[in-house]
Amino acid sequence: MTNKINLYDVTLRDGSHAIAHQLSIEQVEHYTKAIDQTGVYAVEVGHGNGLGASSVLVGKSQLSDEILLKTAKENLQHTKLGIHVIPGFATIKKDIENAILWGVDVFRVASHCTEADITERHIGYVRNKGKEAYGLLMMSHMTSPEILLDEAIKMQTYGAEGIIILDSAGSYLPDDVKERITLLSQNLNVPVGFHAHNNLGLGISNSLVAIESGAQIIDGATKGFGAGAGNAQLEVLAAVLQKINYQTNIDLYKLLDAADMVEKDLIKEPITISSLSIVSAMAGVFSGFSKHVKRVAKELNVDPRDIFMELGRHKVVAGQEDTIIDIALKLKKRI
Amino acid sequence: MNLKVAILGTGNIGTDLLIKIFRSPYLQCTLFAGRNLSSKGMLKAMSFGVPLSDKGIDAIIENPTCCDLVFDATSAASHKIHAPILKQLHKIVIDLTPAKLGLFTIPSVNLAEALQYDNLNMITCGGQASIPIAYAISKIVKNIDYIELVSTIASKSAGPGTRANIDEYIETTEKALSHFSGCKTVKAIINLNPAQPSIDMNTTIYLKIDEPDMHLISVEVKKMVEVIQSYVPGYFLALEPVYDNGFVILSIKVQGLGDYLPKYAGNLDIINSAAIALAEEFAKNKEVIYDK
Amino acid sequence: MFTLTENEISNLEKLKNKEILITGGSGFVGTWLTQLLLYLNDTYNFNITLYLIARQLTCNLEALIDSRKDIIFIKNDIRNIREFPKDIAYIIHAASSPDNRIYMSNPIESMNIISDGTKNTMENALLLEKLEKIVHLSSGQIYGSLDSHNITENDFGKLNCNSISAIYPEAKRYAETLVNAYRSLHKLPVVQVRPFSFIGPFMSLNKPWAVNSFIRDVLKTKNIRILGNGKPVRSYMYPTDMAVWILTMLLYGKSGASYNLGSDVGISLEEVAIKIKNIVGNDVSIEILNMNDSCSEFVPNIDYVRHELDLDITVNIDDTLKKSIQWFEKNLL
Repeated sequence: MTNKINLYDVTLRDGSHAIAHQLSIEQVEHYTKAIDQTGVYAVEVGHGNGLGASSVLVGKSQLSDEILLKTAKENLQHTKLGIHVIPGFATIKKDIENAILWGVDVFRVASHCTEADITERHIGYVRNKGKEAYGLLMMSHMTSPEILLDEAIKMQTYGAEGIIILDSAGSYLPDDVKERITLLSQNLNVPVGFHAHNNLGLGISNSLVAIESGAQIIDGATKGFGAGAGNAQLEVLAAVLQKINYQTNIDLYKLLDAADMVEKDLIKEPITISSLSIVSAMAGVFSGFSKHVKRVAKELNVDPRDIFMELGRHKVVAGQEDTIIDIALKLKKRI
Repeated sequence: MNLKVAILGTGNIGTDLLIKIFRSPYLQCTLFAGRNLSSKGMLKAMSFGVPLSDKGIDAIIENPTCCDLVFDATSAASHKIHAPILKQLHKIVIDLTPAKLGLFTIPSVNLAEALQYDNLNMITCGGQASIPIAYAISKIVKNIDYIELVSTIASKSAGPGTRANIDEYIETTEKALSHFSGCKTVKAIINLNPAQPSIDMNTTIYLKIDEPDMHLISVEVKKMVEVIQSYVPGYFLALEPVYDNGFVILSIKVQGLGDYLPKYAGNLDIINSAAIALAEEFAKNKEVIYDK
Repeated sequence: MFTLTENEISNLEKLKNKEILITGGSGFVGTWLTQLLLYLNDTYNFNITLYLIARQLTCNLEALIDSRKDIIFIKNDIRNIREFPKDIAYIIHAASSPDNRIYMSNPIESMNIISDGTKNTMENALLLEKLEKIVHLSSGQIYGSLDSHNITENDFGKLNCNSISAIYPEAKRYAETLVNAYRSLHKLPVVQVRPFSFIGPFMSLNKPWAVNSFIRDVLKTKNIRILGNGKPVRSYMYPTDMAVWILTMLLYGKSGASYNLGSDVGISLEEVAIKIKNIVGNDVSIEILNMNDSCSEFVPNIDYVRHELDLDITVNIDDTLKKSIQWFEKNLL
């Protein structure tokens, strides 16, 4: 086995959360052009919740999936084009069939960590069309490592060519990552991946622990541009891996150029670990909730931290953004 | 005399229907037919003393006078085979599979129309919960630009069939929503939530409306909720209509009656309760059956 | 489709004028056995009556059955059949899908089909006066993970019964033990047959097995992607051999014995990918991604079958792949 790590760039997908899914054509053009030179394995583009997810619930995209993906594809010669797909939002007929026509190479089919069986048909369809399919387990902190393994084996059996576990709430400690990635990489035949969020400042170190525990695919975003406190900062990760002598195929200077472009072009407010991000990690709530919580809290004059804690107590999953307003109104009444 | 009804399919849906029929003053179950006499549903039906058969639809073909109305709780593929046979036998069919052959039916919306058809499709659980509300609002607000439905159901209440057909759930719900509300741009989303204890089924509705009359909407929604509550007792308004960011938003929760599956299966309860309400309407208007 | 030697024909003559029942009749194994039995009827006047039990008929069989009197289709779930036609002499119990995806998404029902389906088959078999033999189609997966290379009928490796991956092999182990309990208590004449890997006509390319997706990708002029190092070794038996072997095991297998069913010629994933690419002749490349170190082997030892039943592989790997690809080109694209 090689010590090769595939770096997977989610900047233009997870980062969509940070700008309420308002990517412009120029931003996609510039970034995909820049990233095409860097050697990352694939670049993901789209709404923060993936294909077909533009909605009032999680936010409307400024641009359609078609425009986003076609624009990206036109500017990619070397790097593969990826997309996030959540069954329940996206369907094969409405969304996946088209995305194949638009030139998407890599489909990452995601479910809540305990619901892998809803991905069977979508993964099967993608594989049957000769495209790459991965299985993603979201909010993976919400179940035990053993159940996570079972769900990962299901996705592997459906045809997933790799299983990525998502720390969607940014709440993992290094030992949590170590335990899960070790268990998965020892028991799966396909590569294991890890997707960090930086709510507790552990994005890079958790990614490194994942690699040391056997992960071969690592997600990151340049400048850490992602939901909530953002993801593992891709260019930092590339530099660290280069220092430890892992093979990443990354041209560091070019990646740094792409990162600088993100800073100039995309980022409206710097991605920092806000107090609210820390609370959201402590509550174990999906990072993509943060914009919605902030907006509703402001409108109703409720403490957003209380909303996060209450959401955590309700064990809400990604896609249940509709509960935010309900909970906020109840909190308001209680005050 | 009560209307004689048969149930095809002895899984969770069929068995829950049976219990509900037992409570109905208008309906009498004269056949409970599946494929396996030792299934859990069959054993339950046996304890009720209902006539059983393991021959599926053949039991009706062999004894066509046994019933006037058939609930099909098998699968979409099976319903496609059953539908023409039952039509030939002049049976009213209430289809609980996702086969989508018959008229989309929601008791609180198009009961009178339904009486003129012989194959009625019950859409989806999320559809039964939300479409009547969207319909009620569409009656008083003429230009709704967009409607979105988000349903979250307890993981435990979604069996392997539901999970494999998640795309069909979305397609059917969207099609029926457009049909009843007249709104062209619609979207349906579904989530499974594994939390323990299991959550109640929740459906949130977003309607894009400029300058809505919130008072009028509230009144109409409450009226519709009351109508639905008359046949789905566990149905209630969890979030009263609010106007936020250009959208009218409200949420519905559905608790099951706990007839066969526990209370978390509000999704199963609402579609079955709707099917029973529909069958009862046929029972009250028996002449429409004999005219056919 | 079949070219049998005189010796093989005369070996199979015991089937003449007999009634044979196949459970799971519409699956890959059932379809091939049906083809062979009908061939024996048509070409050598065997006068066999064939009963197929399945929940659904595939289109491959549908056309065939409509036009014939020597084949009777019983559409039902094997668990629900209360009795078999009373003159059945031979039973091949092949009901249960080997597609692992089903075991993942519907594990309880899948296990039940194997456990209750097998029990019901044995119970019904007890009532047959003319019964001569039952073949129980088990699985090579019951061996679990082993270090040895060529798996003999007596090698039993590790199976972790708490893993979701154990659903199929553990259910099959249970079914074998149950069948043996019927042999022990009721003296039912049963033979266990443990299939390994096959490739050939009537198979779907939309299956989660490497060779199927290799053929699909090459036929669609897509590159073959091998995630690991390409070194894991499998073997592939052509289904004409499979069908002849099963019937031979049915007629001559010793009650209580277990037989491997498969080819003992191992071939690595990389080699098989190269062969497929060369046969099709498309301009595709084979990407070996080296994402794992697995060198696993899943190849049966068939010395016992050779020795006891005088069977052998008659279609080599090159012809197996060529014939399969010809069929897939014609029927699936």
